[in-house]
Amino acid sequence: MSKVLFVEPEKCTGCRTCELICSFTHVGEFNPLRSRVSVVSFEKTGFSFPAVCQQCSVAACMQVCPVGAITKDQLTGAMKVNDKTCLRCKMCTIACPFGATFYDGEHDAIIKCDLCDGDPECVKFCPSGAISYREAYTANRSKRKATAAKFQEVFEEGR
Amino acid sequence: MFITINNRQIEVQTGETILQVCRRENIFIPTFCYHEAFGGQGACRMCMVEVKENGRNKNRLVAACTYPVTATIEVFTESDRVQQVRRTLVMLLKRRAAQDPYIEELAHKYEAPLLPKLKVDPQGCILCRLCILACEKMGKSAIWTVLRGIDKRIATPYDEETDECMGCKACAEICPTQAITFLEDGEKRSIWNKTFTLVSCERCGKPYATREQLEYMREQTGYETAQICEPCRKKTLASQVEKYQN
Ligand code: SF4
Ligand code: FES
Repeated sequence: MSKVLFVEPEKCTGCRTCELICSFTHVGEFNPLRSRVSVVSFEKTGFSFPAVCQQCSVAACMQVCPVGAITKDQLTGAMKVNDKTCLRCKMCTIACPFGATFYDGEHDAIIKCDLCDGDPECVKFCPSGAISYREAYTANRSKRKATAAKFQEVFEEGR
Repeated sequence: MFITINNRQIEVQTGETILQVCRRENIFIPTFCYHEAFGGQGACRMCMVEVKENGRNKNRLVAACTYPVTATIEVFTESDRVQQVRRTLVMLLKRRAAQDPYIEELAHKYEAPLLPKLKVDPQGCILCRLCILACEKMGKSAIWTVLRGIDKRIATPYDEETDECMGCKACAEICPTQAITFLEDGEKRSIWNKTFTLVSCERCGKPYATREQLEYMREQTGYETAQICEPCRKKTLASQVEKYQN
C-alpha cells in the first residue's frame, strides 16, 4: 500500500514553510506561487489548511488528459505529468476538484504534487507536524475513517 | 544492436526512430512537426539525416522522426548534404514565418539566403500539422488542411464556426510558430471564427473556462463539477473542511 500525504489542519499554523520548501525543491526558488502545496488561510477564524493533491485513485486530471500524459507512479502512487507528451491544453487544471493541478506560465508546464518521489520535503519541514506521510492503512483507523468521510462529503458537495 | 551516429557507436532498441535515439543521446536534430505525444509525421522534413545502409552503395537522406532502426546503419546528422537540405528548408520556412526566433536561429546556423516575400501571407503557419493532431487528440477534429499547393492552409470547414471547436486553445498552445491567433478579453474568447462566452466562477466571479470545455469535462469524468475556478476550489475545500471540524 502506498503512502499518502495526511493533512491535519487543526495543527497548521499558516506559516507557509511548506510552500517555500516545495517551490525551492522543485524550481530552486522560494516562490509560493510555484509551490505544489498551497496554504489557504481564513483571517477571520484563523483557520489554515494546506491544500495539496490527494493522488486520487480515480483521478479527474488523468481522466481528462487527451494524451495520457498523467500516469500513476508505480512506486509512490503519485500522479505524475509527463512534460514531453503534455499538450498544455490545461484541461487537467480545470478538472481537478481540489484545484491542486495548475499551470506554471514561467516554466510552461503543468505542476502538481509528485510526493517528491517518496520523500516529501513539506513533511520534513512543517514545524507543527500538520502534514505527515503515512501508510494509508496504518494511519489511525478511526481518524482515517472520519477524515475519509469528511473528504467524501466535501468532494460530493464540491461537484 | 549497435549503430553509429557521426562515427560514434550507440546501442539502440530495434524499432526506435533515429530521432528518438538522437534525442536520448543529446545529438542535435532540428524538428518542427515532431511532438512526443504523436510520434513522427514526416511533414516538415527538417529532421533529415544521411543514412548509410548495408548493401547500398549510395547514402540515403531520410526523415529521422519516421525512420525506425531495424539494422546496423551509419547515420550522419551534420554532413554537407544534410546541411544543404536544412539550408533550403529553412530558407523556405523563413519566408512563411519570418518572425519566428527558432527559424531565425536555424537560418543563421545554416546560412540560409533570404527570399523575396510571398504573395499570399501565410501568417506564420509552416503547415506542420501539430494543431490538427492536437485537436484530433482532444477528440474534436475541428480543423484540417484546406486547398492545395501554395494556397494550402489550416482552417475549419469553409472557415465557418464549427460545433466541434470547444475553445480549449490546445492548437494555439502547440503551434511552434505561434501562428494561431485568438482573442481573450476576460469575458469572451474568440478562436477559429467562433466566439465563446466564458463561464464565471461561482465563488469569485472570474470567467475561467468555456461552457464547451466544462461539457467535455463532464463527458470524460462522468460527473458534474461545480463551476468554481481553480484557485477558488482550494478555498472551497478549506472552508468545507473547517465547517466539518467544528
Ligand atoms: S495540460 Fe497536459 S497533462 Fe494536462 S490534460 Fe492537457 S495534455 Fe494532459
Ligand atoms: S520532425 Fe521529422 S519531418 Fe518534421
